[in-house]
Amino acid sequence: MIQMFHVTKAYPGDPPVLTDISLDIEKAEFIFLTGPSGAGKSTLLKLMFLAERPTKVQILIGGRNIARVRDSSVPFLRRNIGVVFQDFKLLPTRTVAENVGFTLDVIGVPRDEVRDKSVKMLRRVGLEHKADVSPLKLSGGEQQRVSLCRALVNDPAILLADEPTGNLDPALTVEMLDLLTDVNARGTTVVVATHDASLIARYRRRTLRLEHGSLVSDERGHKAAKLMTGEQ
Amino acid sequence: MQWQREPTVSVAAKLSYFVRSATGSMVRSPFVHVIAIAALVLSLLGYGVARIASSQLDALMASLGGDVELTVYLGDGASGEAVDELEKSLANRTQGLVRRVSPAEALGRLATQLGDQGRALTDLAENPLPWSLEVRLPEGARDPASLAALAEKVRALHFVTQVDYGAEALERLSLISRAITLAGLVVFTLVFLTAIVIVSATLQLAIFSRRDEIEIQKLVGATDRFVRMPFLIEGLLQGLVAGALALGLSFALVRVIESEHGQMFAFARLSGRVVVDWLRLGAEQVGGGVLLGLSGSFLAVRRFLRV
Repeated sequence: MIQMFHVTKAYPGDPPVLTDISLDIEKAEFIFLTGPSGAGKSTLLKLMFLAERPTKVQILIGGRNIARVRDSSVPFLRRNIGVVFQDFKLLPTRTVAENVGFTLDVIGVPRDEVRDKSVKMLRRVGLEHKADVSPLKLSGGEQQRVSLCRALVNDPAILLADEPTGNLDPALTVEMLDLLTDVNARGTTVVVATHDASLIARYRRRTLRLEHGSLVSDERGHKAAKLMTGEQ
Repeated sequence: MQWQREPTVSVAAKLSYFVRSATGSMVRSPFVHVIAIAALVLSLLGYGVARIASSQLDALMASLGGDVELTVYLGDGASGEAVDELEKSLANRTQGLVRRVSPAEALGRLATQLGDQGRALTDLAENPLPWSLEVRLPEGARDPASLAALAEKVRALHFVTQVDYGAEALERLSLISRAITLAGLVVFTLVFLTAIVIVSATLQLAIFSRRDEIEIQKLVGATDRFVRMPFLIEGLLQGLVAGALALGLSFALVRVIESEHGQMFAFARLSGRVVVDWLRLGAEQVGGGVLLGLSGSFLAVRRFLRV
């Protein structure tokens, strides 16, 4: 589903943020992307949803080389990728349902259908009753769930989540991860960037570890869990 | 994996979204839109005032030049046929009104002009004034260069003694007219450029407050055109409102000038009225408002699309 070949990302005048990253993520796989702050996790996610372009070589997503995608085609690719941002990126001037429906508005889904799908999505995360309030009136955990709803309402092939539990307490963290594994079980490829070792230990999924912009390990299941608990 | 190349496009749904988004934004943050409309109104009002002033000057120039005449004095040897032919030829070339003036009529006019002193003229034994042709020149035939050429040609005829058309006065009038046209052009250009800068900067301010919304739209797969459309509709609505307001204010301004309170603007009036083609000015102000609003929005939103 996502393939990277010797990908490097550098900004002019600075040392590379990512160096020689090669990886292959299968369809419907669940991946943890971990590493200390500044390791390049967010940049790697940005490369995946084309908020950044790689400096060198190529990235294949769904068999298409996104390094060669024209700017005018970028929106169409993004419609296949749901993104949960660390800072939620919810609009305070819109209601919760309108924030969720934003993804459907941009592809011309009729208004009633947008509302139906948004409310249905909110029901999945237990926030149906908050559909018409401002996101400002929600807790951090609720806002994160709204952000997840917006990423999923268009039924994307890939879901990228950047520190989705960074602002949540332990109970809500588990709840959020359960939601993500549920989405994954329905066939969506999920990539979660996190530095929370306990999550990796608990869920035992394939884990890619970045340090100083380089991919230093790619472990699966028990090995990943052991690696993370060993670190602690 | 199948990429969503073309989505389930519903033009009506998109259009409805654009209009809702545009009007919603105007309702949510009225202040920035009021500022943008105010900037547009000021620019369009400036244009309107310049336009009205220009049409006043045009009318003034036309009234000043209303008496431009070419007079051809005929000698004794002028035959009736030759004069007829000259009369026709002058009428054809200038499209003006040609009148034959007899010596008696000319003397009578002169006597009237001189008033009491003119009475002496009526006692003259012999009328010294010649027959003449007077051509009342329409606006299009007052170009000093072509009039000089025409005068030269007529003067060459053997039965013509003199040709007079107030060459110096006409030359001066023409210079003033050209200077006013040039000044008008400079004023229009300045007003237009200032308007573009002010409107674009104000709209950028309005759009800046919505940069998060644009960023999220782009990140969830909106095309540039999709992001831009509500802003263009806003620009269009702002332009329409601003154009109508500017027209209303121009109208009010003219009414004030024409009223008793507008004595200090008396110089701007011709026979008590200000000459304005309201239909044309309305079309220009509303059309200009729409054009400025659209182009200002287009330029202003462009820099926020790079996500």
